[in-house]
Amino acid sequence: MIEFDGVSKWYGAVRVLRNISAKVEKGETIVLCGPSGSGKSTLARTVNRLEPIQEGTIKIDGTDIHAKSMNVNALRTGIGFVFQQFNLFPHLSVVDNVMLPLQRIRQQSRKEALPTALLMLERVGLADKANALPADISGGQSQRVAIARSLILKPQVLILDEPTSALDPEMVGEVLKLLRELSSEGITMMCVTHEMGFAREVSDRIWFLRNGELTFEAKPDLFFSSNTHPDVRGFLSSIH
Amino acid sequence: MLEILREYGLMLLVGEYPHGKLGGLALTLIISIASLVITFPCAVMIALARTGQSRPFKAVASGFVHCVRAVPLLMLIFWAYFALPIVIGFPIDATYTLILAIVIYQAAYLGEIIAAGIEGLSKGQMEAAKALGLGYIPTTFRVILPQALFNVIPGIVNQLTTIIKESSLGSIIAVSELSYVMLQVNSNEVTKPLQIFGILAATYFILCFALSQATSWLERGIASKRTGRVVVEAVA
Repeated sequence: MIEFDGVSKWYGAVRVLRNISAKVEKGETIVLCGPSGSGKSTLARTVNRLEPIQEGTIKIDGTDIHAKSMNVNALRTGIGFVFQQFNLFPHLSVVDNVMLPLQRIRQQSRKEALPTALLMLERVGLADKANALPADISGGQSQRVAIARSLILKPQVLILDEPTSALDPEMVGEVLKLLRELSSEGITMMCVTHEMGFAREVSDRIWFLRNGELTFEAKPDLFFSSNTHPDVRGFLSSIH
Repeated sequence: MLEILREYGLMLLVGEYPHGKLGGLALTLIISIASLVITFPCAVMIALARTGQSRPFKAVASGFVHCVRAVPLLMLIFWAYFALPIVIGFPIDATYTLILAIVIYQAAYLGEIIAAGIEGLSKGQMEAAKALGLGYIPTTFRVILPQALFNVIPGIVNQLTTIIKESSLGSIIAVSELSYVMLQVNSNEVTKPLQIFGILAATYFILCFALSQATSWLERGIASKRTGRVVVEAVA
């Protein structure tokens, strides 16, 4: 479904992605991990063109998404993106945050969009916070609202860039629980995370990046086994 | 002072109206409000051009801001009053001339304030809007500007009080606003400049102070609505 073919990216003279070629199948949950600065977030951001690439192609269902002719806004409506820092709009209530894409992209009136948004909030367990402002809710709740917002247009793909890294430890569980549910529902997911328990339990495959290179990819069983790549072994021992 | 207010109070408020043209405090308010109403959208456009991706728009907006900041307002008023009628071939009412000069001048300053508000927003806000697939218009008017404008309310009020004070320059081209009226009163009452200009200063002070207090109240109201609201009921 998502096909990376020889993807490279530079920030000035610094090469941050090196010739990455890999595939994500429909309905798969891929976890991207690796040390800081390995390019995992950058790679995730290239999928909805928040980051341009200089070499290679990224295709979704056969369409080259970095082609100049691609309508970037239309592309993004089909890809949900969740940020580490939630990035909720602080001047809009929770339900207005979730409704915004329906109103501004699907051109629905508030009355039309409200039931869908409330259903989505119910889905993430936050229907009772619909009228709250982002400042009034916890970090974990904010991230669940951000996930609800990213899913409101029913995207085929969900990209999560360290969705639990900015959360207090007691908030991490509620977000991971939601991601587990989403994964089991069959959405195609790419998740950048250091939550190795989540990776082991939920992912179909784990990609390990180092210095912008996809050095190892494996199913969780192999990834966490003693036969894993030496870089992965070093990485796993450094975070435990 | 009370004697002057008794004798010239109505003139101070409305100029020669209803026997002549509207002037005094009323005209000062009209000039200030009209200037702000016209300046504001111009300033927003300048700010969007300054912070946007389009190089030609950015260059034009930057050029405008740099040029205007390099000249005094009084010179702009002279240009609008003396030179513009020659260029366009017909005279313009002095009041419109003054408003035009203030709008050009303040659009540059207010534009810079709003641009700073936009630049000050976290990069994540723009990225979140992009990631949702929102286009330029909804991103700008639904996400960026409401936050940026709120953040620069003190700067906007500061410029509004500046506009009120700058309207006094209209007295130089015979716009019968507050200062011009009080200059006329001073010409009649030659021996009381202290009282006359004391009243003038107090009027400007009350106007500007009341405005900044009202805005502080408004700002606190919006801020508490955005950050301190207690959720008592949810949409079910």
